[in-house]
Formats: sequence, structure tokens, C-alpha cells
Amino acid sequence: LAAWCFSQVKGAIDEDVAEADIISTVEFNYSGELLATGDKGGRVVIFQHEQESKNRPHLRGEYNVYSTFQSHEPEFDYLKSLEIEEKINKIRWLPQQNAAHFLLSTNDKTIKLWKISERDKRAEGYNLKDEDGRLRDPFRITSLRVPVLMPMDLMVEASPRRIFANAHTYHINSISVNSDHETYLSADDLRINLWHLEITDRSFNIVDIKPANMEELTEVITAAECHPHQCNVFVYSSSKGTIRLCDMRAAALCDRHSKFFEEPEDPSSRSFFSEIISSISDVKFSHSGRYMMTRDYLSVKVWDLNMENRPVETYQVHEYLRSKLCSLYENDCIFDKFECCWNGSDSAIMTGSYNNFFRMFDRNTRRDITLEASRESSKPRATLKPRKVSTGGKRKKDEISVDSLDFNKKILHTAWHPKENVIAVAATNNLYIFQDKIN
Amino acid sequence: MILKGQKRKLPSEDVEVPDQSSPLWESQRQFVFSVSLNKYQRSQELPEPSLRRSVLIANTLRQISLEACRSPPLDQQASEPSCSSTLSPQNNAANRSCCSGEPSVPMTEDEDWGLMATDSDFSLSAAISSILTALDSTVDGSPQAAPRTPLRSLENLSGPSEGGVAMEAGRTSYMDDVTMEDLFQDIDSSQLEKDMGVLGLRSGAGGCSAGNDVIRYLPPLTPPSSHPFSFSAEPLQHCSCTAAAVPQVLVFLTRCYPGTFEPRG
Repeated sequence: LAAWCFSQVKGAIDEDVAEADIISTVEFNYSGELLATGDKGGRVVIFQHEQESKNRPHLRGEYNVYSTFQSHEPEFDYLKSLEIEEKINKIRWLPQQNAAHFLLSTNDKTIKLWKISERDKRAEGYNLKDEDGRLRDPFRITSLRVPVLMPMDLMVEASPRRIFANAHTYHINSISVNSDHETYLSADDLRINLWHLEITDRSFNIVDIKPANMEELTEVITAAECHPHQCNVFVYSSSKGTIRLCDMRAAALCDRHSKFFEEPEDPSSRSFFSEIISSISDVKFSHSGRYMMTRDYLSVKVWDLNMENRPVETYQVHEYLRSKLCSLYENDCIFDKFECCWNGSDSAIMTGSYNNFFRMFDRNTRRDITLEASRESSKPRATLKPRKVSTGGKRKKDEISVDSLDFNKKILHTAWHPKENVIAVAATNNLYIFQDKIN
Repeated sequence: MILKGQKRKLPSEDVEVPDQSSPLWESQRQFVFSVSLNKYQRSQELPEPSLRRSVLIANTLRQISLEACRSPPLDQQASEPSCSSTLSPQNNAANRSCCSGEPSVPMTEDEDWGLMATDSDFSLSAAISSILTALDSTVDGSPQAAPRTPLRSLENLSGPSEGGVAMEAGRTSYMDDVTMEDLFQDIDSSQLEKDMGVLGLRSGAGGCSAGNDVIRYLPPLTPPSSHPFSFSAEPLQHCSCTAAAVPQVLVFLTRCYPGTFEPRG
């Protein structure tokens, strides 16, 4: 694994964190030029990668704010007397097809398609109005002219182009753009819907696991994703640690899966919390489309799509927490949903943990590293020091003991640049950007 | 939730004990049961609890009660029927393993359960079963046929939502509470006087809410004592539902459902 160094941190330094500023999703676009974050206050902030400056070629460019907009507002469901949170659960970029950028952002109930476009020219010399916008008296116009495009200061505008509403009774946990670039899926606790990007007034329900009698409900959908290349294939994970792969060509309603992935439980490690910690919080296909990765409470597993009975690789994220599950259940941390991500070449994976630690695993060398996103190690180009949690009785000098971990500082959302070794790590209200050391 | 900046102190006995024959396992089981029950009750009070969290907690409760259901050989025959009859039909493996005699976990604890076998175990498992049945019915909505009384101003209205193909017409709420009617039907003062309250408060779906606060008082099962129902008696006295004590129940209800006795709107 490369040596990682600090690049930037975005967000307030205050100890006092406003709830609305807590980052709830992070996503690079397909080229890595843009980095989007969503927060609990319903805002989206997009950062753009500046070109490397000619003066300092040894530095990669920085990410600076490109656009900020309010994506979702709090709503009130009058039928149920419930407030709908404006928190952005997920952002997914569309592949770029013209000068504008498009992304999907969703809260618990409504998905929106946003267009982000640049305006750096403006027309001058209108016939019917003055430069300051006042209408000219048509009788005073004696000649016609063609308006000329003049340069202006760059303005980045975000406008909602589609609003996909009223299709989810339960809380949306995932959205995923299909490889056909025309459709996308959205998943809530019990159902998955397929949308066409152009059509907002209807969607197709493709998975429905709601039992006829809700008393019989024992399992919910936790995440879903479209296959990166096969537009008919998608997967969804459950709270019981299973993944189902479905083929949309087989039937209109994909309640019957094509493949069923589940690892048999190890009876020696069975506890009261076995089911809870097996609940999958994230599922991600590899860029190649040959593998998928799942995150449960204590581990990350890599699955070969051709082998359903067990994962091909398992990485322990924080096994030292296994003996603390009772307390973590009591304080609700056991329900935290960590995400995971692949690097561009699928050779490494990354996921977050507590105490603002995050972990990276190299699939080839089987080496792993624990790093920390903290203000203390935030000196420009400072190399991050690997961290270690001591599990035995003796604690070495630089190690931290399990009991000293801060469970309020959790890294749930991380993203890896699709082409370069640049990562974005969300630590509560701060966004850290790290990159590997370049000579 | 931990206060910001405060490092949590973990209890010293906080070790996963897979060995189900040890008393440590039993005390942890009781602890997890009471914590789970607490969590579940609290989440029910929220306007919109997380479905995933509720399902996981309910499954944990069910699993714990099923493991408790694997009673000592003495009570085996007596308790199993109660186990299978009061639990609503489930498809999960835990349930199958308990009631069909095909355990998913090694049943080495049976012999040691025998050491702790008393009448109190039997009544506890019956109690857990009945509580769980109530939880099952409140997890994600009572059956469509459940009667609704006009006093329930917090009741979620069900109705068709607008929209396209993917819409679910009908019931939109999934976290309904029990009804007042069910509650009052289940209060049987004679049975209660026999059983000292909580456990006899309800036998069918719905009435468990009367014991909401009382259930919180339920301590973990203490080691066998002379009395078959070895619970602390004090809180239960509030709950003994003689006719004169019905107002006490109403006090509990107003605490659990603050909007219940107020005019709608």
C-alpha cells in the first residue's frame, strides 16, 4: 500500500458540530474531476479538481468548491403526520455526455436529478432590451443587430431537472445508475424500483419483499446496486447477511433471485448478536464486474460472482470489537452502517471504523493499514502514520487501547478516486482528502 | 448515546461467552433481553422508527426467547406447546430450530438448564412468548382486521398514496400501536390477582402495552428463589388490576400514549 499523505480538509474546525453539517454521503464522478458530498441539512457541495499548477508540478491539484446547492428540504407527510428528513442518503453521478454534469441525489423518499452547468459567457447587444435589462421601446429601434457572446466570470448553476417522488413507502437506502445510462434503480427497506431518467410519474417495482402479513417480517433490504456492465443484472443485500443477484430478463418481478450469496455461519462464534452483525450495510461491484464487496459490522468480504456459497476474501476491520458487542448493542453503535469502496484498479479496498480510523486492504499483498483522519495529522503533505489498536494486555507506546476509542467519531463514508490514488474520507462534518506520496 | 467527547466505560464482564452452559451466558442473555425490550419499546414511541433496526431488535428478542424456550427436561413437554402455540408463525431458522427440535446451536445447555429448573423458568418462558406475540403484532402493523377506537388520536391513517405503478394502496403505516379496546379486553382482575400482575395482563395480541412501564421494571431473572414468581413485587402492585385499580392503568396509558385521551387534532 502506498504511503498516504494529507492533502486537504474541508469543513468547520469547531468542536461544536451542527447536526445539519454532518456529511452523509461522498462520491467521485466517473472522471474523478468532481467530488460531491451530501449532508444532513439536505445540501450538496461539489468540489472540482484544479489543474496542477505549472509552478509546483510535484503536487497534485487541489479540490475546491465548485457548486453548492440545497438539494432537499424537510417535508411534512400530512397523511402520516411525519416529518421527512432532508438528509441526503446517497448521491450518484451520471456519466458525462455533454458539457453539463448530472447527478442523482436522494433523501428518504424523493430522488432528484440535478444538472450542474457552467456559464462563462453572456449575450450582449439584445434588440429588445437594454444592457441593464429594461425593455426598449420597439418604435425606437431603427436597426437590428445580432447579440454577441461576451466572456463573463464563471458561474456554476445547479438546477433540478427531474423529481422522482411518491414511489417509496419505506426509507430509500440506495440508488444506482444502470450501465445503459437511461435507467436507474432505487431501493428502500422492502422494495426496489426501476426508473427511466426521463420519466418521473411512474416506475417499475422489480423487487418486493413485503410479506402479506407484516407480523412475519424478519428481513429487510439494506443496499442495492446495478452491475457495472450488464444492464440486466443487479444485486441487493439484506439484514440477514445475504446477497441476491437478479436478472431483469428472467421476469418482470425479480422476487426470485438468480443467485443467492450467503456464507454459512461459524457455530463457534455464534452469539446473541450474530444476526445483527451479519447485516450487510453496503454492497459494491468491482469496476471489472467480476467481484462484489459487502460490508457487515466487523468485516469486509469480497465475493466472486460465480461462487455463491462463500466469499473469496474476508478482511477483518475491527475484530477487537467482537468482545464488546454487548456494549455496542446497548449504545446502538452496532447499528452503524459503514460503507466500503474499491480503488480504480480493484486491487485495494477501503472502509471506515471508529475513532476516525479508516482501513485499507491490498488484495494482492494481503497487507492492510489503519489510518486516522484527524486535525492533528493535517499538516500539508504530511505522511499519515499507521495506527494500531492494542488488543492484548500490554499496550505498546503508540497504540491505542480498545477502551479509549471514541465511538462518536465514526467514518461511515469514504470514496476512492476512479483513476488515481486520491481518497475522500468523511469524518462527521469534515471532509478529508488524502493522496499517495509522489516523488 | 454516548455524550460527545466522553469515552465509554465498558463493563468488566463484557465478554462474549459462547458456552451456553455457564451462568455468565444466562446473565448475559437476561441482560440482552431486557436491553432489547427497552430498545424496542422506546423505538415504538418514536413517530417513525427505523424498520431495519426494529426488525433486528425483534429478531434478537425472538432468538433470546427461543433459546430460553429450550426448557429443562423437567418442563420440556409443558413448555414446548406453549412455545409453539403463542409464537406467531415464523420462517426463520431460529424458530424452526427451537420448536421442531432441530437446534441450530449445540444443545449442551439442556443438562445445565436442569439445574436451574423451577416453576419460575416455565412461567418466564410463557411470559416471554406472550410478550413476543404482542411485539410481533406491533412490529409492523396489526392485521388489517384489528379494530380501531376513536380515542387513538396518534393513530396513523392508512390511505392510498398518489403516484404510479409502484404505489402501495392501503396501509401506509407500519408501526401501529395496540388498541385501547384490546387492552381493556385483556384485563382480567381475577387472573391478575392470581398471577401478581404483569404476566397475566395479556394473553393475546395487543394488550401488552398496558405493561409497557411495568415491563421496564422487570428485572433479569434472579437465581431460583422460594417463590415461583421471583420478581420484585413493588412495581407490580401498581399493576394489579382490580376494578379500583383501573385508573392506575389509565395513568400508564397516558404516559405511554400522551395524545390518547385528548381530542383529535
